[in-house]
Amino acid sequence: MRLLRSFVPSLLLSSAAIVSAASSWSFEDATVAVQAKGAGVGAGAKDKLSPTSPLSKYVSLGSADTLKLQLTTVDGKKAARPHQAFLTLTDPTTGVEESFIFNINDSGKGSVNLAHKDLPHQFLTSAKPIPASIVIGSFGSSTPYKSKVFDFDLARDPNVPLAVPEKPLRYAAEKEIHHIFRDDPRSPPKIITLVFAVAVVAALPALFIVWVTLGANASHLGKALGNAPVSHILFFGSIMAMEGIFFLYYTSWNLFQTLPAALAVGFVAYISGSRALSEVQERRLAGLR
Amino acid sequence: MRWLFSFLAFALLGAVQALSYAGSRLLVILEDKAEREKYSVLLEDLSSRGFHTTVESPKAGKLSLFRHGERAYDHVILLPTKSKGLGPALTANQFLDFMKKEGNVIVALSSDHATPTSVQSMLLELDVHIPSAKGDVVVDHFNYDSKSAADKHDVLLLPFPKAIRPDVKNYFAGEGLIAVPRAVGQTLGNESPLIEPVLRAPSTAYSYNPKDEADAVEDPFATGEQLNIVSAMQAHNSARLTVVGSAELLQNKWFSEKATLNGQAVKTANRDFVQKLTSWTFKETGVLKMGKLLHYHDEGVSKKLNTSLAISEHNPKIYRIKEDVAFQVEISEYENDHLAPFFPTDNDAIQLEFSMLSPFHRLNLTPISQTANSTIFGVSFRTPDQHGIFNFRIDYRRPFLTNIDEKRQVTVRHFAHDEWPRSWQISGAWVWIGGIWVTVIGWVAFVALWLYSAPTEKSVKKTQ
Repeated sequence: MRLLRSFVPSLLLSSAAIVSAASSWSFEDATVAVQAKGAGVGAGAKDKLSPTSPLSKYVSLGSADTLKLQLTTVDGKKAARPHQAFLTLTDPTTGVEESFIFNINDSGKGSVNLAHKDLPHQFLTSAKPIPASIVIGSFGSSTPYKSKVFDFDLARDPNVPLAVPEKPLRYAAEKEIHHIFRDDPRSPPKIITLVFAVAVVAALPALFIVWVTLGANASHLGKALGNAPVSHILFFGSIMAMEGIFFLYYTSWNLFQTLPAALAVGFVAYISGSRALSEVQERRLAGLR
Repeated sequence: MRWLFSFLAFALLGAVQALSYAGSRLLVILEDKAEREKYSVLLEDLSSRGFHTTVESPKAGKLSLFRHGERAYDHVILLPTKSKGLGPALTANQFLDFMKKEGNVIVALSSDHATPTSVQSMLLELDVHIPSAKGDVVVDHFNYDSKSAADKHDVLLLPFPKAIRPDVKNYFAGEGLIAVPRAVGQTLGNESPLIEPVLRAPSTAYSYNPKDEADAVEDPFATGEQLNIVSAMQAHNSARLTVVGSAELLQNKWFSEKATLNGQAVKTANRDFVQKLTSWTFKETGVLKMGKLLHYHDEGVSKKLNTSLAISEHNPKIYRIKEDVAFQVEISEYENDHLAPFFPTDNDAIQLEFSMLSPFHRLNLTPISQTANSTIFGVSFRTPDQHGIFNFRIDYRRPFLTNIDEKRQVTVRHFAHDEWPRSWQISGAWVWIGGIWVTVIGWVAFVALWLYSAPTEKSVKKTQ
């Protein structure tokens, strides 16, 4: 690798210096012309190319234009026909490379024509200008020539759709996916909840106050307990116990713990209730209620 | 009896120094026995690496890639033959069947020999294209050996290949220059992800047929880096095929030959390159092995510290939605003769997919620890809020590495009825809870009132 790196500049140098090269390939009388569609032959800009230094300005090729590059290949000073005469385009971003072959006759005169339809889509969609090099080489001992001659600026008509094939499958790490969770259910602001909760709870004292103002009392408690103490205690107790069972069901019990307890308490409530309510009825019949 | 046999087998295995992960039976198909000498260093290198080599002519009557319907060999090297037909034992279908049974193949081509039709159609099947006419050769007027090919420029001197992508491991790196004499260039189809270039021609190279009368190349087969000198294919079952454009590259002559590149004297490093090429093709390198796969409900640090049973059940069959899950997998890479910890390149990652039809999560696994011969990769994530049948899936396919495709199916269930937050934890429910308590107290008070309240004097007793 190190070796390669060291010889490449020397190679370029040697190929660039035509003066010293008695037997190195190069070219002469090179012109590049871009011809717009419909324009007459010879119309359009024509630039001379130098084998030693690339053209300072971009060669722009519109989608309807044709580029014509003409040159005479020389071996040393003498015009000659090489085996290989390529115009090589390289996309600097993707590294895609395509070579176009000069039609060269025996006297070394050659030309290549290029239009958008000849170019791979990578070149047409590239954001950077595409460097174009001329490669001339042949069998034998003459030094081959390779150097950048100009930069392509491919102006693509945005209105003309370009058929870019779908990117083929390549095995590589794919984009990460993180599941987007649904939002958690939200509660209204606590202050509003509290206002309404207080309103609901306040209904209870309000009810009691209304009852008291209407004359609610517990004056018959002693009489009731005196007449049927066991059934009254059991009945009222079982109603409280039932609420307790509901509370336990709410907090920790399951249905199978709740149902037997509720049945037992319900039975007690039924038996004691009939006695206690009979006592209430007796009081009513006695005209106490 | 059986234990004795297995003991013997173990002893035999131990006797061999290094072994391919895929087996050691190697078939070299060589037409001319006299040519064997030309490849003797390669064959010796292979047998010193533990391969049991059988050299057969394609014309040998008993030659077959299969015996009793199974592979008779693990690997095949097909060297160029004079005849265009290889006979009924080596048809394109036979080669493809051989690869379907995970056999590995090296096909060496040469521009001096016509490529056998069975090889041509096999390569065509795999989307590897070679020039159809005999004699097409890759030349480069820039990087040729001026000692042996001063005029013809058909012995290329190329540096070792670089990684084809920044995220792909390079199994063919090395120091020095590879001599590629009289190569048949290949072009690769763009569609298949299974074929990869190993050694590309330099950008100034091209492939032409010397028999063409024209003085200048007019219609080359391919030019520049689109030409491959060596290309490789790895099938879905990880069977490997390497196409070596130049069979001479494998010969003793070029293994350590003095050459001249642009006036500089160099020594070719073909032996090193061929060693790398054969060990990759014959699965001595680039083989991945998955070890233990583990997933469990991650109950968090606090819970782990408090309980004596630190880790919950391994690889449970069922998870709940929105549950923290830890996943670990052990992956090793086979390196010539042992398993070593595997690390993907910096731009690459092994990924875990948690998927039901399509992935809900695709996460990069990070190496969390390392054993003597494996790396443990891990990741933690939360199961999605969607119940169903999910898969933990690792589908790791990369160029030059054998494929890993592992799936573990689990059920993800919904919240059970007692796993929801209690009603008092939800502030919006306080109004309703208040209402219930008010009703309870009001009811008990009403019962007491109804049972024990005496009529007030003020109230007018209605007479019935």
